[in-house]
Amino acid sequence: MSIFEYNGSALVAMVGKNCFAIASDRRLGVQLQTVATDFQRVFKIHDRLYIGLSGLATDAQTMYQKLVFRHKLYQLREERDMKPQTFASLVSALLYEKRFGPFFCQPVIAGLGDNDEPFICTMDCLGAKELAKDFVVSGTASESLYGACESMYKPDMEPEELFETISQALLSSVDRDCLSGWGGYVLLVYAALLTPTEVQEKILKGRMD
Amino acid sequence: MLLLLFRLSFLSFFPSLSLSQHFAPTGTKPHHRISVSLNFKQRKQREEKRRMMMKLDTSGLESFSAAVPSAMAAAEDQLFAPPSFDLPAGCADFDKFQMEAKQTLKHAKGTTTLAFIFNQGVIVAADSRASMGGYISSQSVKKIIEINPYMLGTMAGGAADCQFWHRNLGIKCRLHELANKRRISVTGASKLLANILYSYRGMGLSIGTMIAGWDEKGPGLYYVDSEGGRLKGNRFSVGSGSPYAYGVLDNGYRPDMTVDEAHELARRAIYHATFRDGASGGVVSVYHVGPNGWKKLSGDDVSELHYKYYPVQPTPVEHEMVDAPPA
Repeated sequence: MSIFEYNGSALVAMVGKNCFAIASDRRLGVQLQTVATDFQRVFKIHDRLYIGLSGLATDAQTMYQKLVFRHKLYQLREERDMKPQTFASLVSALLYEKRFGPFFCQPVIAGLGDNDEPFICTMDCLGAKELAKDFVVSGTASESLYGACESMYKPDMEPEELFETISQALLSSVDRDCLSGWGGYVLLVYAALLTPTEVQEKILKGRMD
Repeated sequence: MLLLLFRLSFLSFFPSLSLSQHFAPTGTKPHHRISVSLNFKQRKQREEKRRMMMKLDTSGLESFSAAVPSAMAAAEDQLFAPPSFDLPAGCADFDKFQMEAKQTLKHAKGTTTLAFIFNQGVIVAADSRASMGGYISSQSVKKIIEINPYMLGTMAGGAADCQFWHRNLGIKCRLHELANKRRISVTGASKLLANILYSYRGMGLSIGTMIAGWDEKGPGLYYVDSEGGRLKGNRFSVGSGSPYAYGVLDNGYRPDMTVDEAHELARRAIYHATFRDGASGGVVSVYHVGPNGWKKLSGDDVSELHYKYYPVQPTPVEHEMVDAPPA
């Protein structure tokens, strides 16, 4: 088993109508043994920007701490939050800094940009950005996730429908992977008309085997 | 001087002998034998040359045309050139490659099965997941094989190996019945299987099975594996999830349980193994072997069992990365 399959993970982000959703599994394992079933993989950078990190769990946590540090410095200097596109470039640069001894994690970035335009992108462990208009996936269950998302995705979904779709895609994909699953976590962010942004966090009841 | 002549003559032989040189074992002495008593230094030089000549031998094995000097190469190419090809990448060490190939076929026994004897007979239980590395290939594999109406075998390891050899064992048991006009004992059946597996030892079969049954002496349970091992015992668990199953099984086991208690213990043990082990899951099947043969007691989905044993409650978040509170 490779280093990316040491802890096991599944991440997916999808774009809807003025909203996005990012979902992950909740398992932390040591190869085949399950150690925790409430492991956090999706982290908040600011109200309208979230990052999910799959792959080796220790590198995911370290990457997150480095990114929060850099973003706080940015906030102090620029007196505003980072745009998702800028943040993606930052992540890519940080990953490529370690080109010959990389962090073994694959980020999935999701955020709301200017004019409440949803933005998602993923990267490999060296920082190669892949922008997408519909969905991005990452983790040990990524191949199953590609299949599930491709068949279930429709453009311009409303928030409730987007939540349903991403949950079903995640749960059905991790049911085909030994190393991820044991529950799901979905975060849905949409730019509503009255309130600035609404965030919904839900924990999914999945197969626990 | 002597040595120089020796070397030249050897080289002149080399092109025409190149074919036989292919198949000559590396340790053979060359044709010329000069029986002269040499001092230590000369003997050392001789040995070095022999080692170098051994190196020359093996270089011929790489590629036929490379060994032949260029003058002969053109003619040889047209006449003798066999279909020569580069060994595939990673094949520089063929033995290691073969070992790795066998390793990929070894399914590392990703499963959980258990069986135990108690006063009322034998309980046999297993999960139903088949995995290939990280991918779940099936959640509905039958891992308890019915050899005959009073004997069961469990499957762990290579699915094809287990299915084939258990069916083969069933055939041999039936032949024994017909030849001897009485049923075969569990001891005999497990011995038959163990002997077959021993004869295939080292060839890459992967089987970790338990033979459970009820014969004239009462309940019988044997563990048989593809290394040729055969053990008689009261409690066994086989597979990658077995440590977790043993924990629950050993804790709750009593010889004087009722059938229902034993059933629940087996189901619980397999459930806990499927929770912790990534390569076990699906459905728990539990069988009971009594004096009148085996009977399937239940087949429960493991996920439903989880929510039955541990209903959903709002749990406090244990690990959360929070920002430092503002000063």
